[in-house]
Amino acid sequence: MIEAKDLCKQFERNVRQGRRTKKEAFLAVDHISLEARQGEIIGILGPNGAGKTTLLRMLGMLMTPTEGTIRLTDAEGNEITDATEKKAAIGYLSGNTKLYPRFSIREYLGFLGELYGFDKATIRERTEEIFRVLDMESFGDNRIEKLSTGQTQRASIARCLMADPELYILDEPTLGLDILSADAIIRFMKGQKAKGKTVLYSTHYLEEAQILCDRIYMIRDGKLAAQGTPEALMEQTGTDSLREAFHAIYDA
Amino acid sequence: MKKIKTLVRKEILDILRDKKTLVIMVLIPVLLYPLIIIGTTLVFSMMMDTQETEVYTVCCQAEYEGLADKWTGKLTELYEEMEEEPGVSIEFLTVVPGIEEQAESLADVWLKIEKETDGREQVTLSYDSSDQKSRYAEETVEYLLENYREELVTEKLDEEGLGEEILYPITYLALDQASVSESFAEDFGSSIGGSLGMMLIITILLGAVYPAIDATAGEKERGTLETLLTLPVTNFQMIFSKYLSVALFACVTAVLSVLSLGGSVLFLLFGVSSDMMGELPGIYLADIVSAIPVLLLVLVVTALLTSALCMIFCVFARSFKEANNYVTPVMLVVMFASMTAMVPSVILDYRTVLIPIVNVSLLVKQILSGQFDMVLAGIAAVVNLGYSVLIIWVLAKMYDSENILFSDGFRSFRIFQKRSDIRKGTIPAAGDLVLGITVLFLLLLYVGSAASVRLGFWGTAVSQLLILLVPLAVVWYMKSDVKELFSLKKPCWSMLPGSLFLYLGTYCLVLGLAGILTALFPESTENLENTFSVLAEQPLLVMLFVTAVMPAVGEEILFRGFLFGSLCKNLGRKTKNGHGTLWALLISALVFGAFHMSIVKLLPTALLGAAFAWIVYRTGSIYVSMFLHFLNNAVSMVILKYPEQISRWVPVLTKEKLSAAELGVLLTGGAILSGIGIFLMRNRQKRTKTG
Repeated sequence: MIEAKDLCKQFERNVRQGRRTKKEAFLAVDHISLEARQGEIIGILGPNGAGKTTLLRMLGMLMTPTEGTIRLTDAEGNEITDATEKKAAIGYLSGNTKLYPRFSIREYLGFLGELYGFDKATIRERTEEIFRVLDMESFGDNRIEKLSTGQTQRASIARCLMADPELYILDEPTLGLDILSADAIIRFMKGQKAKGKTVLYSTHYLEEAQILCDRIYMIRDGKLAAQGTPEALMEQTGTDSLREAFHAIYDA
Repeated sequence: MKKIKTLVRKEILDILRDKKTLVIMVLIPVLLYPLIIIGTTLVFSMMMDTQETEVYTVCCQAEYEGLADKWTGKLTELYEEMEEEPGVSIEFLTVVPGIEEQAESLADVWLKIEKETDGREQVTLSYDSSDQKSRYAEETVEYLLENYREELVTEKLDEEGLGEEILYPITYLALDQASVSESFAEDFGSSIGGSLGMMLIITILLGAVYPAIDATAGEKERGTLETLLTLPVTNFQMIFSKYLSVALFACVTAVLSVLSLGGSVLFLLFGVSSDMMGELPGIYLADIVSAIPVLLLVLVVTALLTSALCMIFCVFARSFKEANNYVTPVMLVVMFASMTAMVPSVILDYRTVLIPIVNVSLLVKQILSGQFDMVLAGIAAVVNLGYSVLIIWVLAKMYDSENILFSDGFRSFRIFQKRSDIRKGTIPAAGDLVLGITVLFLLLLYVGSAASVRLGFWGTAVSQLLILLVPLAVVWYMKSDVKELFSLKKPCWSMLPGSLFLYLGTYCLVLGLAGILTALFPESTENLENTFSVLAEQPLLVMLFVTAVMPAVGEEILFRGFLFGSLCKNLGRKTKNGHGTLWALLISALVFGAFHMSIVKLLPTALLGAAFAWIVYRTGSIYVSMFLHFLNNAVSMVILKYPEQISRWVPVLTKEKLSAAELGVLLTGGAILSGIGIFLMRNRQKRTKTG
């Protein structure tokens, strides 16, 4: 379970003032609080530049918040405080988390397994299992640079699976994928939910979010615009679909 | 530790799978070196071979043919008795009437023999000293003539029944105490050693650069850095394992180079032309072989340092291309440092050993001269290692910064844009400052010193003009807001008393410090006295203009306006609580100190620079520091011009050596005055803020 309180992230941007351009601080993420409980799929929605990626990066321990706290607990409810243990408990995936092109997936998973402290037998076992689950036997030994987009995305998921984390943070995992690959990802998220894992993910596909998510956070200009179950959001705005609800919230 | 091992293995595998690395790492040392060395030697020995057929012609001409023939015969006989020199032979010809012209075109040396009235034979040697052949032939002929004369004299003495001691009452013999191996080693070390060190360092550099770029910028460019950040490793483990892999590659390259270089040299010595190299003294070889472990150790340390150096620049880059741009200046600096050993007079001593890279280059030369100092080698290793640790520490700090990991804001060069693309009011960035000051430094080194050789005193004026013009040019190109950047504004009047106090205090401190430093390094002041004596000959007003007015304007614009101003604006933005200003002050002061090209003057000048910078910062006006700078230089010039009068009034200023008491008074007085100055300035500032 992850619980964030009043998260803020400050960046700088150029602002033109008369003839001069000045640097100005602004909050890319502005006091956002959220939580994701065990066995939940949480959707983070919002237009480009709303601060989704920054928020997920902070939750994924890649960035330190300027303000606010993040509490991470394991399956038994004990808080994880050590930074590397936190990272081990989170499977983070985004469009920017590419894999080493000169490695094969098998080698890559081996490398990860060693970093997570698994022994050789465990690494082999888990690799075989992941290959079977994601149907990767046919290309698992090719160099990653030779794989197609869908295959690469599956390899990325394999990377997250290797550590068997409690929490998945997925930044637009279905972006640019064909229907088959996207479905595979959605199946994967559902499977993890069934295993009692937590999934936190951002997306632009509202139909997908509507069926998949237990709860949704909508973000605008770094601030929380709305939150709740898809049904609650539709009810609030008096609409029949998440897409309409989205428009109702953002066009207002 | 286990994680680092895994990470290192991953880095190495990743780099190894890139073909480009292998080419640079393996092909260059293993193929290029033997090619260069053996190739050039073969060409060289071929040239030597062609010289073997070199024949020098000496023509003898006399009043009558018999005389000329006699000389030709005698000289040929003497020449044949002489020890043969390889590659050279001399032919002696008698010139008979009718072939003079032909002979003249052939002759390297022309002998004209005349009988004098007292019966002696006068030989005139005509030769061309600008022609190497002619010079060589003349030397040989002169030597032969000397021998011939001696022979005749001994004959005469024998006839008279006298011994040689009449002519040579004393005899002497010069003995070269250097063993064959020593003199060979000395020659070999200084001729080959210098360039060998350079080549080794450059190979290490090449070995380090590519992996360094790949492991930092390459990782960013490929988008795998963010993935790496999600893994359960700390940033330090990450950067350290990257560093280890880069250093390992550099080391492998170094070892390969040593082996391939050594192999080529041995191949040359024993394989191709052992006769050409002469007999190689075995003792010398033994010396070199025993030095190989030391050589390897030092090269490994060099690899550690160069790797760190390359990486610290590469982490800023977002792409391969950018990293290449950043690393090029580093490569130039390292290459330049590695060439030091090629300067014959520079040797490894307790001073040069403190300069990284340079000490390696000098040490390699020493090792190949067969006479290296174990202690110095140790110090060199420790110095380079120390610098590496320092750089890694900074590197680890930087690698923790999100600005660098997710960088899109680091822009160190703004000057390389087209001028039309540059916005008005752009502030020179760090790279621009370094570039500007480096260009200025080079200009001063070449144009400035050329000017002072040509124009003497006025050359100083040229240098001063350069100091003013270069920052102005940069600032013009970048369309900076000069008024703002250089603080060309009316001073905040309430700060003036404080400035004056601070300046006076600093002046005392500088005086005291200079006193201490001259006591510690007495020899260093002599140079300065020489240059200043030239100045003192000028009329006072001219002297003041060139040494006080011009530096006050130029140096203030450069150091307090261009450097401190830009740094303040660059750094002030990033750090809170004015730490940025403090850093700007420190950096500009150090550069100001370093610019005066004297280790002894570095600290005092830097102190003065810091005070000036603080004054500019607080008063908001560069005019104040210009005036104080003028005052400062003018005072020293007046002291120089009228030493007697000054020493009568204020003896402290001209004394060669200050007593401990005087030093104490100066330092404490200076500290108190500066303290008051700083206090006055700070106090007012706070009041104006609240009021």
